[in-house]
Amino acid sequence: MNAVEFILAGMLAAATPFLLAALGELVAERAGVLNLGVEGLMALGAALAFIVVYHGGGHLLAFVAGGLGAALLALIFAFVTLGLQANQVAAGLAIGIFGQGLSALFGKTYESLTVKGLPKLALPGLADLPVVGGLFVQDIVVWLSLLATLLIWAGFAFSKLGLVLRAVGENPKAAHSIGYPVILIRVAAVLFGGVMAGFAGAYASTVYTPLWADGMIAGRGWIAIALVVFGTWLTGRIFLGACLFGAVSLAGLAAQAGGVELPSQLLASLPYLVTILVLGIISSNRRLLKLNGVASLGEPYKP
Amino acid sequence: MSYSITRRHLMKSAAATGVAATLGSRLATAAEPLGIALVVPSPIGDVGWGHALKAGLEPVKAAYGDKVKITVLENIAEGPDADRIMNKTVADGNHFLVAGSFGYQNGALQIARRNPKVSVLHASGFQVAPNFSPFAAKYFQGTYLMGMAAAALSKTGKLGSVSAFAIPELITSINAFALGAQAVNPNIEISVVWVNSWFDPAKEQEAAKALIAQKCDVIFSNAQDTPSVISLCEEQGVYGFNLNSSMKKYAPKTYLGCVATDWSPYFKAQVDAHLAGKFKGANAFLGVADKVVEVVDWNPAIPADTMAKIKDVEAKIAAGSFSPFTGPITKADGSVGVAAGKTMADGEIVAMDWHVKGVVAPLPK
Repeated sequence: MNAVEFILAGMLAAATPFLLAALGELVAERAGVLNLGVEGLMALGAALAFIVVYHGGGHLLAFVAGGLGAALLALIFAFVTLGLQANQVAAGLAIGIFGQGLSALFGKTYESLTVKGLPKLALPGLADLPVVGGLFVQDIVVWLSLLATLLIWAGFAFSKLGLVLRAVGENPKAAHSIGYPVILIRVAAVLFGGVMAGFAGAYASTVYTPLWADGMIAGRGWIAIALVVFGTWLTGRIFLGACLFGAVSLAGLAAQAGGVELPSQLLASLPYLVTILVLGIISSNRRLLKLNGVASLGEPYKP
Repeated sequence: MSYSITRRHLMKSAAATGVAATLGSRLATAAEPLGIALVVPSPIGDVGWGHALKAGLEPVKAAYGDKVKITVLENIAEGPDADRIMNKTVADGNHFLVAGSFGYQNGALQIARRNPKVSVLHASGFQVAPNFSPFAAKYFQGTYLMGMAAAALSKTGKLGSVSAFAIPELITSINAFALGAQAVNPNIEISVVWVNSWFDPAKEQEAAKALIAQKCDVIFSNAQDTPSVISLCEEQGVYGFNLNSSMKKYAPKTYLGCVATDWSPYFKAQVDAHLAGKFKGANAFLGVADKVVEVVDWNPAIPADTMAKIKDVEAKIAAGSFSPFTGPITKADGSVGVAAGKTMADGEIVAMDWHVKGVVAPLPK
């Protein structure tokens, strides 16, 4: 396996935790709610999912547990910010720290234990292609995340629900005045974000790196939030950003393993640099940026 | 039995019992047990660095029974948090402090200076004070033996290491691993991936996958506290080994062995000295001869003749008649590292900042 094959084969799986969390955050932000607690939601999802798999509950139940647990935490965030109109930035940070603490508490007795991941499924025909074949051998969660990306893209582009969500994020007053329950829709969007962050955590602890260790999310929630912003709230760009980030991280490791004469610190910072650069360039059009940005993001709304 | 408390619990109980604790320590009498506190940066699991330190204190407890009371403070971030918590634990009457991370150095040294009656052991540092001793393990003695085994088992002639940070302690482990491997197969190559993080299981596994993709078939998990690399090795069918405590249960088939550390002889001796009023700060660089470093859980697949050679070298290291860092050693850039007939002194080893020939990865500056 050469370096290119290695990167192509691993890219999608490496991108999946970012992608899942970023898609959830995208929906919440599109509805006008900035949730900075993704890191904590992922950590909680990861801990709960690991515990379920460790006790033989299977991966399906683990993802349900991770998603539900994170959604419950997101519900607290929704209650504080949407019910009580608290500052979203402060509440998000608090929920993030709380989630990490909770995950450490629940995971205490599971520290450094391992479980079995999921088998990889090959797309017949495509998987046998030279060089790019590895791209088509992925676990089921990766395939489902791609499907989710497609559905969310289509949802925003073509469905009424997507339009309503965007209206609520752009101008909650207008949405309210034509009869949409703004707060309820926002709560639903935040909950969806929670579930997706929980899935992302569950993927990290039971499939991608099937072990539990306190702090294993290691900043991935923050990268997911950054991807939403740098992807200018567009599903396709967020997907591109997540893949790019995954690919460049792997490329840095492959370069080191192959003995390339570059400082490892530079290689380690490349994913951030490249992702910011590429997404920055493709979204450098100010008019488009303004068009895609969410007008009332982070602003409390009282009907 | 020792008991564990986390930072969060500590802060809660600190608020509730702060007054009582201060009063308690003022009323301390000679009949009270010696309070021993261990502070470590990561959560303690069944394996890893923190686990090895905690296990090192258990024989002390067994020997002294009720005369000592051990408190373990885990998951304490280096920095102001650690300083505060170490101060509090000393104020609570713990007079023997084991500061289990390099980053605790300044805070722990201050505590030692302010509290002359408190004895402090500090992991992997370089500062010494009358009541402050740094301690470190000569992992390189064990990784040299691992290199011999790895070279005998490798089919591709390529070995890999997933390493945390390019600090001398980790560099010497890799170099000795390379030298041991070259003693068996002079043409063997060692690739290194520096993940630049003490703790990121996902990245560590990605790094191990990258090495395996480059055909490395023995992986050295250098300073990872979780079985991230070792469990991946089992899954991918390549040999793997690690430091500190055995991870054999995570890789029953492909576990090459463990360069284990047993701190109990050292801890016991230092507690003895403290109780006798004879504690003296000194640099402790301990290895096979001190029974602190020991290779355990050798894989049965290692050929018998190689194993005999390994045992022979191990005996020589224990007797002090052999050091992995005996010249001639060539640096990776081709210059002379150690001249023929010379052996590196401990002081030179702890400051090593170059790779030996055969290690193909560039060293971060």
